[in-house]
Amino acid sequence: MMKVFSTFVNLYMAGMETSSNLQSLFMEAMRKVQEKTATYMEGEISPDKYKHFYNVWMETYSETFKEFSKSGHFVSDIGKLNSYLMDFQKYNREMLEENYLKPMNLPTKTEIDEINKELYSLKKTVKELTIQIKELKEKKEGCKDMT
Amino acid sequence: MNILNLIEDFEKFKCGMELFLKPPEFSVGTTPSELIFSEDKMKLIHYIPIVEKPHLVPILIVYALVNRYYILDLQPDKSVIKKLLEEGFDVYVIDWGYPSGADRYLTLDDYVNGYINNAVDKIRERSGLDKITLLGVCQGGTFSVMYAAMHPEKVKNLVTLVTPVNFDTDKGLLHLWAKSLDVDKIVDYYGIVPGDFLNSGFLLLDPFRLMIDKYVGMFDRIECNPDDTTCAIRNEDYIKNFLRMEKWIFDSPDQAGETFRQFMKDCYQKNLLIKNEMILDGKKINLKNITMPLLNVMAETDHLVPNAASIPLNDAVSSADKQMLVFPTGHIGIFVGSKSQKEVCPKIAAWLKPRSLLDGKGDEKTESGNEELPELAKEKTVEQNRKKRKSKVNKK
Repeated sequence: MMKVFSTFVNLYMAGMETSSNLQSLFMEAMRKVQEKTATYMEGEISPDKYKHFYNVWMETYSETFKEFSKSGHFVSDIGKLNSYLMDFQKYNREMLEENYLKPMNLPTKTEIDEINKELYSLKKTVKELTIQIKELKEKKEGCKDMT
Repeated sequence: MNILNLIEDFEKFKCGMELFLKPPEFSVGTTPSELIFSEDKMKLIHYIPIVEKPHLVPILIVYALVNRYYILDLQPDKSVIKKLLEEGFDVYVIDWGYPSGADRYLTLDDYVNGYINNAVDKIRERSGLDKITLLGVCQGGTFSVMYAAMHPEKVKNLVTLVTPVNFDTDKGLLHLWAKSLDVDKIVDYYGIVPGDFLNSGFLLLDPFRLMIDKYVGMFDRIECNPDDTTCAIRNEDYIKNFLRMEKWIFDSPDQAGETFRQFMKDCYQKNLLIKNEMILDGKKINLKNITMPLLNVMAETDHLVPNAASIPLNDAVSSADKQMLVFPTGHIGIFVGSKSQKEVCPKIAAWLKPRSLLDGKGDEKTESGNEELPELAKEKTVEQNRKKRKSKVNKK
């Protein structure tokens, strides 16, 4: 339980950090859009102007995000967020398996994974044996032809 | 005036929405084919040749585990596979299917030395040839490179399309991001890595264009007028093609966890393949074992596999006959763009044709294809030679 709680705190903090970084990024992008469109959007507004505004907005936001996504900040944010999310989900599942599924005598993901592993290794053995049988048969037929 | 324009735009949008709520029926991968072999979820598909006498050496296309192979046969009028058939080739493709929980322990070795090897053997058996042509696409190209290095005796020609082999580059965002991922945690939690999880990563590469601009552009492009009853017919082809692409983008199979783990760690994080240090089935993959003719095809504006990730392949192999082609298009455009039909496929076919001949013994007879090389390749070759000469001069 404590594990889940501390992982949740880590996840929450990483989420807040990412969200704060993204908010600063979008503020920056918005400032750039305002700079680019301030003079153009003066006077009568026409559909062409809307289109121009949209294009500037799209290009600026897209480019600003692209620049940010190359930065160490973003890479580290994504890495941390993902890592804490996996931890949180893993501990949650463990808790669910221990406290609900096992007492109710229901199969857990861990048990299903064990079966999958067993199945995989059995399949692999069968494939290898099939190849060996085929090779032995071919050898045997080769020997028959020789005699 | 402005309000009227706004109402007009809204009516146009509403009309477009109505078209999308009743979309025309569409299909993908329509080139006639037959299933000739299957193993677990993998299927080997053979396309029915459309020429009387196809070139003798068949082509096996190996696609990536991410998304589906039918991008190569997305529209009847824009199909790499159809184009190769028209050029007279006998074409096979591996369909990896949709892995489920039972496949989580499949390894990279199972894919390369298992499924690909069995598919190659099946084609060799059917064609009666010792060697076939491998055409690998994206991650499938990386698999093909691994395969060609481990089983060079079965590969006559190797064609790689937008294929990463050098993962230590800061040119592509995926390469940057992958280094920070805790792959073990992802695989240990999911087991089988969800396609949607991977797809969200791809969308994050350019979220504004991929999640907003694309759809705005689509509505803008539809010439829709509420008073015009023919607009559904006029827009049918465009909507069908748009939906085909949408279907492909969001059709992301889950990935076998252990394969994902090794591919991400050994390739993206440690860059072992190009260093000849990657191990499959207990054996090191030595790219110097690749001696067959190699054609390395890249897209100039590829945002997923930057050219820097593909170029080093040509220096890493031992092949004497090797070429590079770069097309001014993107990662997807190379398969479905108009250039794909007009330039990419014909140039690949022109390179392959002289290398798909057999002599009397059934062994390969590689002709120098340089006379038939497209202009772009010639330029590349000239450029490479120039650089080599320059570096020699510098060394001296």
